[in-house]
Order: sequence, then structure tokens, then C-alpha cells
Amino acid sequence: MSGAVNHHKAYIPFLRPAPVFHPFRCLSFLLLLLITLPDLAHAVSRNVSVGIYENAPKVFTSTTGKPAGIFVEIIENIAKAEGWNLRYVPGTWAEGLDRLSRGEIDLMPDVAYTTERDRIYAFHKIPVLSVWSQVYARKGSGIQSLLDLNGKRIAALENTIQLETFTRLTNSFGLKFTLIPVPNYQTEFQMVADNRADAGLTNRLYGLMYARKYGLEDTPVMFDPAPFFFAAPKEKGDLLAVIDRHLAEMKKDPRSAYYAAMKRWTSDEVEFKLPAWLQVSALVLGSVLVMSVVGGFVLKHQVNARTAELALMNREMERRIDERTLTLKETNEKLRAALEDLEDAKERAEQADRLKSAFLATMSHELRTPLNSIIGFTGILQQGLGGPVNEEQKKQLAMVRKSSDHLLALISDVLDISKIEAGQLRVESETFHLAESIRKVEQAVRPLAEKKGLELYLDLSGDVGPVTGDARRVEQILFNLLSNSIKFTEQGSVTVRSRRDGDFLVTCVADTGIGIKEADLDRLFQPFQQIDTGLNRKYEGTGLGLSICKKLVELMGGTIRVESAPGRGTSFTFTLPVRPPGADGVAA
Amino acid sequence: MKKKVLYIEDNEQNLYLIQFILEKNGYEFSSATDGREGIELAVRSKPDLILLDIQLPRMDGYTVARHLRAHPDLAQVPIVAVTSYAMAGDRDKALASGCSGYIEKPINPDTFIQQMEAHLGTPA
Repeated sequence: MSGAVNHHKAYIPFLRPAPVFHPFRCLSFLLLLLITLPDLAHAVSRNVSVGIYENAPKVFTSTTGKPAGIFVEIIENIAKAEGWNLRYVPGTWAEGLDRLSRGEIDLMPDVAYTTERDRIYAFHKIPVLSVWSQVYARKGSGIQSLLDLNGKRIAALENTIQLETFTRLTNSFGLKFTLIPVPNYQTEFQMVADNRADAGLTNRLYGLMYARKYGLEDTPVMFDPAPFFFAAPKEKGDLLAVIDRHLAEMKKDPRSAYYAAMKRWTSDEVEFKLPAWLQVSALVLGSVLVMSVVGGFVLKHQVNARTAELALMNREMERRIDERTLTLKETNEKLRAALEDLEDAKERAEQADRLKSAFLATMSHELRTPLNSIIGFTGILQQGLGGPVNEEQKKQLAMVRKSSDHLLALISDVLDISKIEAGQLRVESETFHLAESIRKVEQAVRPLAEKKGLELYLDLSGDVGPVTGDARRVEQILFNLLSNSIKFTEQGSVTVRSRRDGDFLVTCVADTGIGIKEADLDRLFQPFQQIDTGLNRKYEGTGLGLSICKKLVELMGGTIRVESAPGRGTSFTFTLPVRPPGADGVAA
Repeated sequence: MKKKVLYIEDNEQNLYLIQFILEKNGYEFSSATDGREGIELAVRSKPDLILLDIQLPRMDGYTVARHLRAHPDLAQVPIVAVTSYAMAGDRDKALASGCSGYIEKPINPDTFIQQMEAHLGTPA
């Protein structure tokens, strides 16, 4: 059988599985002969042998004995363009693969790619098609899921990816089945129909076409959509490059032979768009009427079949939706229970939090009373009010004073944090001059800077005027930032800049100190998070100051941020609104 | 003439500390250890300034301040709260009760006199 003799025609009888189409057969053969005559003119051409097996509609032998199907149409189209002489070698699937591995044929169609096969054969790159595998059974078999196949007799083509995947799938569910090997899908469907097998594996294309004919139906068990190719012996790889080139071109053009073939063999609706030559001939012969009548009949038939299939799918979907709904309800219940637990836990945590804050406030207060005596009497003695003090005593009193001042600072910070956490920190809303506050704090910290040999610069823009807020708290922030900067700077300078930016006054305290690692910047404003500098002994502090500053700035309607890099200094920038954000300044 | 300062405070150490500082700075010092006694003494001695602790037994400092202010002879005398109460609103509460000023405990011995003198001669 010469490939050159049947490019476009063999499909016609197969378009319609029923014998209804016999009247066309004679017609088509007649025309076949006519239009293929010019092909004989091809004198020089390459012989290409192609394996054929029975797997309609992908590849099969028509009732007239001609190869047909998607792969056949595509390779014939390519052969025509390339001037190849196709020679078909029919056989079973297994025989075809054997022949291919021995190099007896040049191409085998419909081969799914696997790495194992890739070691034996060559594949082209663009898949011809992708098909799902599906399990078919006799009508009313009751097979609804993979589990229903346990212990059943399954007919399948051997040595296929389909069977491999199916075996793996069933194994993973711990299922057992009896394999009935078959040479082709026709035998498989016949065996299922005759009750010699309970179900058969095939691809969906074949199933769609033939299941009804054998009284079979598709089960909901679908698996493994696989791409299929032509395979060639390793040494015949050049053919594959040509196939890829044509496939690429054909896939770009919706009117190409590729789409025509796909549409014809896979479309759920059967189209009656015949090639122009046949349409003309049919017109001439006046058979349009007959065709449309028959076409309508087949179309209706196909539509009915498809409708039934859709109804089945619908029922399956509904069942799944019911299952999911049930699962969702259960999940919802659990979530609700979990939420209630969380609510309780939150309540307990908040209770504990309030107790902690109250405790801290009381403690801070109680600690201040003895400090009043310690600091007060130390001061009296230092001032010489209690009598002359010698140098050694002065030195020791200074140490007592310094330690008690530090202790007081710690207590104040703890008190502030406890106020913040209890939501009791209030800020005043009064008009004051920020520049004056900055100068006041600068005067207070200047001795500290001078003691370390640091320069202290002020850079206040003329537009830094009155601002509404809590002057005492703003000074606390400035004092905190400035003493921090001085504390962490060994040489260089500390600079305070302030200017107006729209409705805000922006103040920045920048130093040339040791800087902060990026990883530590986030933790900087959290309470009780003193960054491990490895220098804690040297730079003592509570680790509370910055979190207090942040809260205070926010209470006054501003923001605070930090920029720093190790060894490159640090700059803290905070903003204050010129007008207050709202009358109420109570912490959240 | 020496200015007279009355300190109403129940803590002995605090009393002694303030007395010592004030006398060394040339003030005439008197004291009472509860509110009632303090009010009586104030009415009798008409001090130039009253230092008032808030956390007092029986009658708290806020109440004492209101009584002092209510007396016609004392309405103009500066009252400065000296307290370690430091929770939200304490300052406001003290001022609302009639105090002219507020000094937090622990006091700063270096600046205490200045802080107090800021209220002398500035009647409320």
C-alpha cells in the first residue's frame, strides 16, 4: 500500500462508525483515484516505513484496509510536502515497537515518551497529541472509582505507559487485579463486552469512538494524560527533525492539516466539513441532501451520547461537592472550637498583663520613697551642708549619687513602660517651642559630650517654631536620643537637626558612633530588647528608652525611625505634628 | 525676715531631709505629720509656702489641699505637692485640688530649692 495514494481520503468511512456511510464509499474511491494521479509524477523520493496498529482514532486500519487516524493523516501530510514514499507495516503494538528497535521500520506512531524508551528510540520534541487514559466497563458495571477495580479482571495492552501507570496507581492504593493482556483495543473491548474481562484500559479518544458500539461506558476513573510522539530508531533521527519542523508550522496555522485531523478525530461534535473537491463532486452528483440528512442523524446521535456523558459527569461532580461540603462543615466546627479556645487564652493573657502593669506601677512607686532619702542625703553631704567632707569621701559620695541616679532612671523607665502597657500613659497637649526644648536638652547633655571629647552641633532651621504636644515628654525623647548617641560614640560628633516639613517638624539626632547591625534595627524599638553589643557592661541601660520614645512620639501623632550601619554611625529621626492629631492623648 | 515653710508629711526621713535643706538655706521650717494637724498649723502660723505630701494617712493630700484653699487666710498661699505618686493624671489631680506646683520624689537635692522658690512670691 503506497502512502502516496491516500493522503486525504481514508478517513471518510471512519468519520461515521455506522454503515450509514456506505453510499459515500464508492464515491470517495472514485475521487481518490482521480486526485492521486499527479502524485505519481514524483520520481525521486525517500522511502519511509511506518508501523501501524489498531488504536482508533489515533492510528488504525480502516474497513477498506487503509491506514487512517490522526497520526496517519499528519505523517501523510508531511510525506506529501517532503516527497516521502510511505510504506505501512501493520501489526500489533508490541510488534511495532519490536520492529522499531530492530530498525525494520523508520517510524512508529503514537509512542508515549518515557526515559526508558528514550534510551532505545529517538523522539521528536513537539507532541502530536495529549490523551487521557480511562477505564471502560460494561454498562451498569457500578465501577465508580479506582477502589471498585479491586480483584477485577482488567484487559489492557501490554508494554504501554498506560498499563504501567495504572499498575503503579492501583499498587499505591493496595489494590490487586488480574491482568488480561490483549493485542489491541478492539479485542479488549470485545472481551469486556463478552464478560471475559470486567474492565479495559484505553485512551479516551478510542473510548469515545467505540465504547457505545460494544455496549460499554466510561467509568469516572481517568488517569495520566500523556503526550504522544512518533518514535524512530536512534540512527534515523533526521526524520524526526523534519516532523518537528512540520508540526511547529502546522500548529501555528489553525487551518492546517494538523487541526483538521484533530478536529475530525477528537471533536465531540462530528463536523461535516468535507474537502472542497468532495463538496464540488457531491454537488455535481446531487448528494448534498442525502449527506445533510445523514449528517443530522449522526450529529444528533453524537450529541445524545455526549449529553449522557455530561449528565454522568454532572452526577459525579454533585456527589463530590456533597462530600466536600460535609468535610468543610466538620472543618468549620473544629475552627470554631479552636477560636473559642483562643479567645479564652487571650482573656487570660490580658488579665495577666493588667496584673503585671499594676504590679510594676506599685513597685515603682514604692521604690521611689527610699530613693528619696538616699539621693537627698547624699546630696546634702555632697553640698557640705552637713559639715566638711574630705576628698576621699567626696569621691565615694559621688559614686553613691551616680548609682542612685541610675537606679532612679531604671525605675522611671519601668514605670513608663508599665503605664504604656496599662494604657495609662498620657501626653499633654500644650503649645511650646521645639527649638527651646532642643537647646535646653543640649545644655543638659553638653557636659557628657565634652567629657568624651565629642563635638555637639545644633542645626535648627528658622521655620522650627511652636508645636503642640507635651514639652516634658519631647524633652525626655530628646534627652534619651542624645544621651544614647553620646553613649555609643567614642569619637567624632553628635548633631541635632530640625526643620519643618509640611505639617510636621522633623528632628534628627545623628552620631558618628559604632552603629547598629541591620538585623538588630527591627528589635531596637521593642521593650526589654537590649541589643547584644558584647559591650553591655560598657554601655549599661535598661533597653527600655527607645520603646518608650517610640510610644511617646506615636501618642503625639508622630513617627520615629532609625538608619544605621555598623561603623557608620546612627541617626534617629522623629516627627511631631505642628497641630495635635486629636484632643484625646490616651494611649491605646 | 525668714520665710516660713510648712511641710505636711508622714515620713520621718523625708521630713528630716527637707527640714535640713530648708534650714541650711535660711528658711523657717515647721511640719505636721497628718492633714488635720497640718491644716490647723497652717491656719495658725500662716506660712509663706506649704509643701504637701499626697500619700498621707486618714486624709489624703488632695483633700488637704482643697481644705487649705477653702480657708480665706490661706487661699493665696502657694501649695507645692511633693509626691512619689507618678501614675497618669497624678499631676493633673494635684493641680486640680488647688496645688500651685508639683515636685516629684525622689527630690533632686541640687535643684530642690530652685524648684520650690519658683512658687514663692507667685501666689496661685
